[in-house]
Amino acid sequence: MTDTGGTVPRQPIPGGQVSTIRGRWQAPALTWVTRGVMALGLLSAVLPEDAAIAVATTAVAVVIAVPLVRVLWLVHRWRQEHDRRFVGVGLALLGVVAAGAALAALGVGS
Amino acid sequence: MEVVGYAVLALATAAIGALGGLGGAVLLVPALVLTGMPASEAAPLGLLTVAAGSISAGPRQLRERTVNHRLGVVTELSASTGAVGGALVSGFVSDEALTYVLAIVAFAAAVAGGRRGGLRNPPDPECDAGDVGERVGALTGAYPLGDGVVPYRVDRLPSGLGFMGLAGFIAGTAGASGGFIKTPATSELMHVPMKVAASTTTFTIGVTSSAALVVFALQGRIDVEASALVVVGSLVGGQLGANLQSALSPTVIRRLLSVLLIVVSVVLVARA
Repeated sequence: MTDTGGTVPRQPIPGGQVSTIRGRWQAPALTWVTRGVMALGLLSAVLPEDAAIAVATTAVAVVIAVPLVRVLWLVHRWRQEHDRRFVGVGLALLGVVAAGAALAALGVGS
Repeated sequence: MEVVGYAVLALATAAIGALGGLGGAVLLVPALVLTGMPASEAAPLGLLTVAAGSISAGPRQLRERTVNHRLGVVTELSASTGAVGGALVSGFVSDEALTYVLAIVAFAAAVAGGRRGGLRNPPDPECDAGDVGERVGALTGAYPLGDGVVPYRVDRLPSGLGFMGLAGFIAGTAGASGGFIKTPATSELMHVPMKVAASTTTFTIGVTSSAALVVFALQGRIDVEASALVVVGSLVGGQLGANLQSALSPTVIRRLLSVLLIVVSVVLVARA
C-alpha cells in the first residue's frame, strides 16, 4: 500500500519502556504452522474418507486456534513486562470469545 | 471434484485479492455463493482463509517489527465482540438477506479499495534503532522506515473502536475480513502509519475470524472436508498474488478489483 495522502504532523518520540516482544519465537512458529496446515490440507485430499476427515478437522482446528493462542501468548509476555492494563485487555478479549462459544453451545443463533 | 473446484476458486480469488491488497475472502465468499453455495455455508470458508492468511503473513511482519500488538488487542476487543455478535445473528437471518449483506460488503470494499490513499508519518532524525517497537503500558511506538525511524501515537481511539466493531460484525455475518475498513480507520482516523496499520490489521483479522469461527464450529456450520483444501488454495493463491504484486501497477490493479467487486455485488443482488 502506498502513502499517497496527506502528512500527519511529526509525532513526539514516545516515552516509556520499549516492549521486548520481537517475535523471535513467534515468527518461526507461525512459519511451521503454515507449512503444517498446508501439508495436512494436501494430505486430506489423498487419504481415504475417514482419515481425510480427521486430518482436515485437525487442520481447521489449528487455523482457528492459532490466532487465539497468539493472544494468550501476548498476555503471558505482557504479564512478564508488568503491563497489567494490557493483560486485562487481552484477558477480556479471550473472555469475549469464550462468551460467544458459550452462547453458541447453548444453541443461540442455531 | 466439487471440493477441488472450491480450492481452485480459493486460489484464484486469493491471488487476485492479494494483488489488490484487499485479501481473497471478499471475493471468495461471493464467488462461492454464485456457484450455488448458501451464504451461511460460504461465510465460514471465507473466514478460514482470512485466519490462514493472517497466520502466513505473520512471520514477515513480525521480522519487520511493524505490528503493534497492544493496539491490535485493544481494537480487537471491539472487533471480536462485533464478530461474535454477527456470527450469532447470522443464524437467525435468511440466506437471501445474507446475500444482500454480502453484496453491500463487496460494494463497500470496491469503494474503499478504489479510493485508498493513506497518510504519511514522517521519520524523526532524533530517533534511533533503540526506539523501534511498541511501548509498555501505552498505545505509542516507533517503526523503522528505510534509514529512519517513525514515531507514532494512536489518536481518536473511541471512534476507531466503533469502526472496528462494524468490521467485526461484517466478518461475523458475511465472512469477509473487514480489513478494508480496519486499515483505513487505523491509518486515516487514528493516525497510525499505513505500514503499521496494515500489519496490525493483518494480525487482528486472524483473531476476528477465529472469534466468529468458534461460534460457527459449535453451530456445526463448517464444512470440514472442503475447508482444508480451500485453506491450501488460499495460501498458495495469496503467495502467488503477493509475488506478482511488484510486477504490476498497484493503482491499476486496485481499480480493476473495484470494478470486479461492483460487478459481483450487482450479480449477487440480481441472484438474491
